[in-house]
Amino acid sequence: MERSLRTNTTNRQNLRIRKDWLEMMVLLSPGLLLLFVFVVLPTVEAFALSFQREGLLGRNRVFVGLENYIEIFKSKENLQSAWQSLYFAIIVAPLEIVLAFAAALLIARPFPGVAVYRTLFFLTTAVPTGVAAIAWSWFLNPQTGWANWLLERFGLPAKTWLQDSSTALPTLAVITAWAGVGFASILLTAGLQQIPEDLYEAARIDGANGWQQFCSITIPLISPTLFLVTLLVFLRSLTAFGQIHLLTQGGPADSSMVWIYRIYQDAFFNFRQTYAAAQSVLLFLFLLLLALLQFRLVGRKVHYE
Amino acid sequence: MNKTLARVFFYVGISVFAALLVLPLLTLFSVSFRADADVYNPSFFPPHPTIEPYQIALEKYPLLRFLLNSFVISSLVTAGVLLISSCTGYALARISSRVTNTVFALIVGLLLVPGEVTFLPLYIMVNRLGWVDSYFALTLPFIASPIGIFLLRQFFKSLPQELFDAARLDGAGHFRMLWHIAIPLAMPALGALAALTFLGTWNMYLWPLVVTNAESLRTAQIALRFISSDEAVRYNIVGAAAVIILLPTLIAFLIAQRAFVRGIAMGSLKG
Repeated sequence: MERSLRTNTTNRQNLRIRKDWLEMMVLLSPGLLLLFVFVVLPTVEAFALSFQREGLLGRNRVFVGLENYIEIFKSKENLQSAWQSLYFAIIVAPLEIVLAFAAALLIARPFPGVAVYRTLFFLTTAVPTGVAAIAWSWFLNPQTGWANWLLERFGLPAKTWLQDSSTALPTLAVITAWAGVGFASILLTAGLQQIPEDLYEAARIDGANGWQQFCSITIPLISPTLFLVTLLVFLRSLTAFGQIHLLTQGGPADSSMVWIYRIYQDAFFNFRQTYAAAQSVLLFLFLLLLALLQFRLVGRKVHYE
Repeated sequence: MNKTLARVFFYVGISVFAALLVLPLLTLFSVSFRADADVYNPSFFPPHPTIEPYQIALEKYPLLRFLLNSFVISSLVTAGVLLISSCTGYALARISSRVTNTVFALIVGLLLVPGEVTFLPLYIMVNRLGWVDSYFALTLPFIASPIGIFLLRQFFKSLPQELFDAARLDGAGHFRMLWHIAIPLAMPALGALAALTFLGTWNMYLWPLVVTNAESLRTAQIALRFISSDEAVRYNIVGAAAVIILLPTLIAFLIAQRAFVRGIAMGSLKG
C-alpha cells in the first residue's frame, strides 16, 4: 500500500519534470531559433567573410587569411576614418552630457511647472534622426539660417558649416549631441531622483548651502551614472549614421567619412563586401571593449545597491 | 524678496535653456508654413503663414504611405518583441535547469553585439533569401531582442515564488502561469519595453536604407532623404514633409511620456 503510494508520487513527479521540460522547450525555442538565425549566424559570418576576398565579378570568394586586415591597417583612408569616428565621439559625448546634466539638475526635483520643462528637455527623444538632420540643415543654412544670423549679431563671421571640410564633422557632432540630449537627460534625471532626499535634508540641517550639497552629495552619488551614460553616448555616437547620410554623405572631401559610413560605402558602392566585413569586425571588437567596460561598471553599481 | 528674485531668475534661465534646445525645431516649423517667396526671408515667424507647403508635400509624395510603412513595421516588431521576450524571459526566469542557465549566459553575451556590425552579413543573408524589398526583411530580424528578453527575465525573476507555488497546487502549468500571473503583473514593464522597441524601430535608418529599393516599402525616415535631395531649393516643402514625419512620434511622446521615459531608463541603465 505504502509502496504503491510512493511509486505513484514518483511517477507524478517524473511526469511533472517531463511536462516542465516540454513547456520550457516550447517557450524557449522560437526566441532561440530567431536569435541564432539573425544575431549569432550573421556575427559568425562577419568574421568568416573578413578572411575572404571576392574573385573577379564579385563572385567565388576565396580565403585570403589576414589580407583584408593588413590592408586596413596600411590604408590611410581607413585610419583617417577611425580617427574621424573617435574625434566625432569625443565631441559628442562631453557636449551631450554637459547639456543633459544641466537639464537633469534643473528638473530632477519637482517645482511648479516642472512637467512642462521635463517634456521640453526630453523632447528630442521623440525627434527621429532624419527630422533632426533636416531641422538643423535649415537652421545652419549659409544664406538665411538663424545660426549665421545669430553669429552676425555677435559680430562673428558667418560660416558654411556642413559645406566646409574643416567644420562639417564638428557640426555633425553638435547635431548628434543635440539629438541625444533628451535620451541622456532622461537617464541622468532618473539617476538624480534615486539620490535619497533625506541626505539633502540632513545636510541642510547641518547648515550646508546649495553648492556644498551639490559637491558633497550630488556629485559623488551621481558620478557612477554619469560615467556610465557618458560611455553609452560615446558608444552610440561611434555608430551614428543617419544624420551623416542625410547631410554630408561622408563629405565634403571625405571629411565626415566616419568608420561606419566607410563600411557602408565599401559594401554597397565599392562592392568590396569582404573588406567591409573586416572593417565591421574591427569596429565590433572596439565597441565590445567599451561595452565590456560598461558591463563591469553596471555590475559594480548593482552590487553596491 | 530675495527668494522671489531667485525664483524669477530660475524660471528665466530654465526657459532660455529650453528655448535654445527647441530652437532648431522651431526653425523647421517656421519654414514649413512659408510660401515659396518667403522661404529666404530671415524673420522668426512666417510673414504670410500658409499651409500650402503641406498640401504640396502630401500631393507630391506618398507621405502617408511612408508613415503607414513605418507604423506597420514598428507595430509588428513591437508585438513580436513582446511575445518572444515574454516567453523566453519567463522560461529563463521561472524554470531553472542547466539549459536555462546556459541560455541566459549566452543572451547576456549577445547584448554586447551591436546591430551596426551585423548589418552587412545580415544583408547578404536576406539578399540570398530573396527578402530584399519585403516586410520580412524589415521585421523578422528584430523580433528576438536580447535586451527585451534580458529585461523581462529580470522582471519575472523578481516576482515572489509563492504566487507560482500556489498556482502549481491548483494544477496550473507554465503556460497558464505565464498568461495569468506573470504577464498581468508585468504590464508596466511590458509597456516600457513596447515604447522603447516602437521608438527604436521607428527610428531605424541604416537597415531600411539597404534592404528597400521600392518606393512602396520605403519608411518615413528614408523617405526624408529622397525628399530633401529632390527639393534642394524649396525648403518649405522639405520642412513640411519633416514636420509630418515628426508628428506621430511627437504626439505619441506627449501622450505616453511616462512609458517612453521608463522604457529608456530601464533599457539603457540595466542593460
